[in-house]
Amino acid sequence: MLSLSDSESSSRSSSPPHLIFAHDDDDDDEDTNSSNSNRNNDHDDNNNGNNKQASINNSNQDDYDIVDAIPLANRDPVIPPFSSRVSSSSSSSSSSSSFSPPPGLSTYHADLATSPITGAIAHDNPMAGYHHHDLLTHARLRVPLLHGLKIHSDHSQSSQQRSVNVDAVHDTLSPTHVSPAQLYSTESGRLFHAGKICIVLVGLPARGKTHLAVSLTRYLRWLGVKTHAFHLSDYRRTHIQEGQPVPDDYFLVNASPTTVILRQRVMAACKNEMFKFFDQGRGQVAIYDAVNPTSAGRRVLVKELNQHGIHVIFIESICDKPEIIEANVRSVKISSPDYVGWSEQDAIRDYLKRINDKIPHYEPVDEQEFSYVKLYNAGERILLNNSRLGYLPNRIVFYLMNLHIKSGSVYFARAGRSTEVRPRYKSDPQLSDDGWAYARILTDTLLAHRKSEHELRVSQGDDGSAERKLVVWTSTRKRTIETASLFEKEFGFDCRQRPQLSQMHPGLLDGLGPDQVKAQLPDECAADRKDPYRHRYPRAESYHDLAVRLEPIILEMERISSDILIVAHVSVLRVLYGYLMACAPSDIPNLNFDRDEIVEIIPSAYNNKVKRIKLQGVESDKLL
Amino acid sequence: MTGNYALQIDNRICVIMVGLPARGKSLIAQKIVRYLSWLSISARCFNVGNYRRLETAHPTAEFFDVNNAEGERLRRQAAEAAISDMFRWFDQDNGTVGILDATNTTKSRRSWILDICRKRNLEPMFVESWCDDEDLIMQNIIDVKTTSPDYVGQDPETAALDFRNRIRHYEKVYETVTERDITYVKLVNVGSQVIINRIQSYLESRIVYYLMNLHIKPRCIWLSRHGESIYNLEGKIGGDADLSSRGREYARQLPRLTKMSVGDRPLTVWTSTLKRTQQTAKFLPYRQLTWKALDELDAGQCDGLTYEDIEERYPEDFAARDENKYEYRYPGGESYRDVVIRLEPIIMELERQENILIVTHQAVLRCIYAYFMNVPQDQSPWMEVPLHTLIKLEPKAYSTEVTKIKADIPAVSTYREKGSSAKKPKS
Repeated sequence: MLSLSDSESSSRSSSPPHLIFAHDDDDDDEDTNSSNSNRNNDHDDNNNGNNKQASINNSNQDDYDIVDAIPLANRDPVIPPFSSRVSSSSSSSSSSSSFSPPPGLSTYHADLATSPITGAIAHDNPMAGYHHHDLLTHARLRVPLLHGLKIHSDHSQSSQQRSVNVDAVHDTLSPTHVSPAQLYSTESGRLFHAGKICIVLVGLPARGKTHLAVSLTRYLRWLGVKTHAFHLSDYRRTHIQEGQPVPDDYFLVNASPTTVILRQRVMAACKNEMFKFFDQGRGQVAIYDAVNPTSAGRRVLVKELNQHGIHVIFIESICDKPEIIEANVRSVKISSPDYVGWSEQDAIRDYLKRINDKIPHYEPVDEQEFSYVKLYNAGERILLNNSRLGYLPNRIVFYLMNLHIKSGSVYFARAGRSTEVRPRYKSDPQLSDDGWAYARILTDTLLAHRKSEHELRVSQGDDGSAERKLVVWTSTRKRTIETASLFEKEFGFDCRQRPQLSQMHPGLLDGLGPDQVKAQLPDECAADRKDPYRHRYPRAESYHDLAVRLEPIILEMERISSDILIVAHVSVLRVLYGYLMACAPSDIPNLNFDRDEIVEIIPSAYNNKVKRIKLQGVESDKLL
Repeated sequence: MTGNYALQIDNRICVIMVGLPARGKSLIAQKIVRYLSWLSISARCFNVGNYRRLETAHPTAEFFDVNNAEGERLRRQAAEAAISDMFRWFDQDNGTVGILDATNTTKSRRSWILDICRKRNLEPMFVESWCDDEDLIMQNIIDVKTTSPDYVGQDPETAALDFRNRIRHYEKVYETVTERDITYVKLVNVGSQVIINRIQSYLESRIVYYLMNLHIKPRCIWLSRHGESIYNLEGKIGGDADLSSRGREYARQLPRLTKMSVGDRPLTVWTSTLKRTQQTAKFLPYRQLTWKALDELDAGQCDGLTYEDIEERYPEDFAARDENKYEYRYPGGESYRDVVIRLEPIIMELERQENILIVTHQAVLRCIYAYFMNVPQDQSPWMEVPLHTLIKLEPKAYSTEVTKIKADIPAVSTYREKGSSAKKPKS
């Protein structure tokens, strides 16, 4: 018995607006295939000075911006706003041992420079000050899971550059990968004696399944649990021959025999990769993202997974509020190539019809013997059945309690300069005049930016709803509170002091400059260079410590649906950014937050995106 | 040294228990307090029964009859007294999570509490324990009739009968929580199903997360340090040394000692990844699991040194550690607080499991013990936990009972009193 495959439209859900299809061709598969080979070439000889860049105006001809595949030294110096460290990837030749990429799969998430968001801003937005290179650094090839397990290992020779400007939540982790908030590692690579777990998603299209899969992956990886999301639709796309259309009955329950066979092949390919992930990739949690609408199909799946020693938890997303479904459709689905040239209203109507056609065949999960979680209306209510599976499943529910379908951006900004040149940890100086000027510029720039973003959304057909709310979080230090104070004083925004946002404790380094540290603590410096993420100077916190203590903040960021401005010390911003963009631990200590810009993280179902908002009239103070 | 930012919370929550008598409400309430306190969040339970007993120490079942106006008045008065004390605690003692432990079985009672919480700017969260598992209820009745102050000095059979009648009175008016616009968690048959509605904050989610892991079946936890190690003999800390001959003797005796205390109950043994705990557990005929999280507190640069060495080489550290041992972090190593954070999965798993024997290390054992026994942070790092002793913890509705079983195998003392200079270990 075959369960209904993921729907066409749902498959597009994995393709947020800015993704993919560089050409306006109908046939995306061919497109991605051809670029895949390009990509591989780039890989193989990326040290030959290949500094081809996607041109901003020409991005439709260039499938991928390949700037991230270029060694830093070869890049145009204006390009990397963040230092992009070489970490990652055993060489291509040694990577062949485990997963082998299904044909064409390796390019399925190419971020393109044609993002409507970034594109609009760079070219059309009257607000000045966006870095042009944003466009370039946004665009980056998604290295999907199956890219032959191109493993990020901090010790191996790098043949692949990763960019911290692109959400790495879909990257493949090495079997020995250690995550930002991981407390310890084990021989097997699996934590908490929780064994192998497959989270099987259940739900009609436009219920936020992909968002759920991606968010859970981000969180579990952060904790150190090797997690990977398997979106069935990706496998459909690679399994249907180039140039072949998807059969008309592909998404119907009573499909023709040939279509059923095709569907089975797609599912088998997906499951096969899942088993490889568990067996060869030391994976612990696989998230199987498909509709899984029938009870019989679910039973077959459980049986098969159990035979492989894998525990199964179902997470069903249920929604009875039309406005939530419509918002999902609006934000994700209608940007699919299927609807190029359609009016928004028509596209939504058509898409909703496609969902509704499935409803009669949909059976909600109520198999009492299974472990399952039902999420109603994006987490408003959660039902947990047979929850005795263990620590990890409960931890997942803990996260789900905090998860909302996030629409709001997170803005990161530094505090203004204080009256002390290098404020000691224990001193708590106020802003200098210069700092107050900065607070002024920060406030005005951000508010102007939000206003123009809002107008842009309205002009793009958003129903003119009210501007999104903004909350401001600061640490408890005066300079952060004062930097944010104008938001409250003049504009009435809610400003909250969060003690968890306190900067990394410098320990004995307090008050010392870099040179003094080098002179006084040479051994410590050497140790820090070896492992800047985990190294603790005497009496100090490490980035890892910071990551662990920031968990409440991270979960609250997930909770809040409004925009959040966080004004905090750079050490804190690095860790929060690292979570939102799934950075490797080795990258986090080197993220740069220049004082002359606001870093905005724009959430989306499939991956988060970064934008930098220039603060005109603020002097840059590159930290690195 | 780093301060504790990890768990500072800026909202205040009033947890309101809901459920018939003998549904484990007090146990749950008390556990929430223990868990939050262990995480350094100030929490306190206000048991309405205790206030009611001030007026009516040994009521009969009739007192709880809904038609008994005087009983009703006195019970309402007790609830008001408990709530007003709770509010005072929130305001004067900077409380973060207050728990109102009462039956709160009617909608009207709940809506009254809801209103007064909102007026005070407290987030109300209802926690309902719903149970129709007769065995569990019976188990609770037995527990209550033997431990509840209401039945002190009474014939157990009479007490059980009266208590059952009391439950009947409540059943008549019981309305399970279904109010969709309030924040609640409903635990059905101790976690076989959990319904979570409108969680408002991180801290609430944290409490619910903890509740999901709880069960109220009777069980015991046994704790033991590893047998005496070579490092213990040499007075060194940390390392990954083998057992001494006396330590090996303890390992050989441990199965007998365990059997005496555990009897025929099923048992799982947890050890750390270090040799000395695994060698200690080697002869135990039970399923064994190894947890990295149970490894000894990492002494960083001081690993492998004696206290004497440390006092000599790092005099400031030595003094700083005495000053605040809970927060003190060895250079390149861990503090007690760090250990508590990494033990969180262990504590959650312990709550989910039944009979467990943990063979671990001094500092880790202190942290686990502190959790079960509510030992405050300024004392827990200083507790004396002798070698070659099996500790049995038996969580009960009102408190945890401790039994210590000595193996009668001599060992060095690894205990160093606060403020004392490092001494050579005496054999």
